[in-house]
Amino acid sequence: MSQFRAKKLDLSCFINVRVLRDHTKRKVFEQYETERQALRYIIRNTTLPGRARAQAQLQLSQMHCYTRSTQINNRCIEGGKSRGVFKDFRMARYPFRMNALEGNIPGVKKASW
Amino acid sequence: MSILRRRDQCRSSLGTPSTRARFSAATRYRSQEDAELHNRNLPEMPAPFQTPPSKPANASTGLLGEGYNTDAQMAQTTPEGQPQEYIPPEQRDDPRLPRSVQAIYLKPLKRRAQYGVPTCDLQLRSYNVRNVEFFADFALRAAYYLHLPAAGPIPLPRITERWTVPRSNFIFKKSQENFERITLRRLIQIQDGHSETVEIWLAFLRKHAYYGVGMKANVWQHEKLGVGKTMDVSLENLKQAMEPKWAHFGRRKTLETSERAFEMMKSEAFQRTGIPLPSSA
Repeated sequence: MSQFRAKKLDLSCFINVRVLRDHTKRKVFEQYETERQALRYIIRNTTLPGRARAQAQLQLSQMHCYTRSTQINNRCIEGGKSRGVFKDFRMARYPFRMNALEGNIPGVKKASW
Repeated sequence: MSILRRRDQCRSSLGTPSTRARFSAATRYRSQEDAELHNRNLPEMPAPFQTPPSKPANASTGLLGEGYNTDAQMAQTTPEGQPQEYIPPEQRDDPRLPRSVQAIYLKPLKRRAQYGVPTCDLQLRSYNVRNVEFFADFALRAAYYLHLPAAGPIPLPRITERWTVPRSNFIFKKSQENFERITLRRLIQIQDGHSETVEIWLAFLRKHAYYGVGMKANVWQHEKLGVGKTMDVSLENLKQAMEPKWAHFGRRKTLETSERAFEMMKSEAFQRTGIPLPSSA
């Protein structure tokens, strides 16, 4: 959501709204990571009183969805695509092919075996 | 750097003896001045010893000695059409390269380990055979001159990664293309090395890191009993040095999480739920 979005552009790759959104989600997740983990710890610790654990559950469920790690989705740095993105190169399959054929990716060659 | 540079110099001077031999054969009857002029045009050649005039003339029939002989000497030594007699290397007068320079053309020298206790495993990785071979050679030579017994380069199994992608950017899955990336690995093991020397060696290799070659080192040290206290101090010192590098990695925030949980349990909202106040985080 826009309350988390940086006021000034802090990205230098291909940019569209979805790329920006994903970038924001990554930053928010990092910021709230410890808080989420602490709440999860309280929820799962069976030695603590049930009321406290219920309280932690409530708090966790009320946290913003951007603080979840599952919201993060890898996107292509060349075109912002979300599908068929290689983790090794952070590129979708077609930009990867073009770059590999041009020899821009170190060590990647056409294979034949 | 010094070894690299020396190697380059030798590469450049490698071509000269043969060219000079050809050249001198063609201009055998030129005057002494011409030969000297020719000598001045090739500054990168290691300075050859001039044939001393007191020696017998037939001793100087080597490759490089020829260019410096006068006509009279040449007439004496090599009459045309006759095969030259063999002279064992130790009696020849022609200059040889210094041993340290000559060693660059040979396999890297190694020192023998006395106990064979591994102290450092250096793994070199590259996508390029030439680069990784060259740098492994360089590392071995550096280890030799640092008096470190090194074993290797041991070729480790190659890592082959393959990707198959459709040729088109949209549909048409029938037509695909394969790409691969093969990582070559070499292992160099230092045995019985003093930890400081190993560090110097690693720092030297990092300083002269070769393009396209990655390095990874596992270092083992042997300490006396009761190192715990010194390790605590060194860990604190290490933190400052390592923190900027660790910042690039995603790490588990275990310590921060436990502190945060402790804070939360002390907060008013949780105290009302009857949570016991933890004594220590």
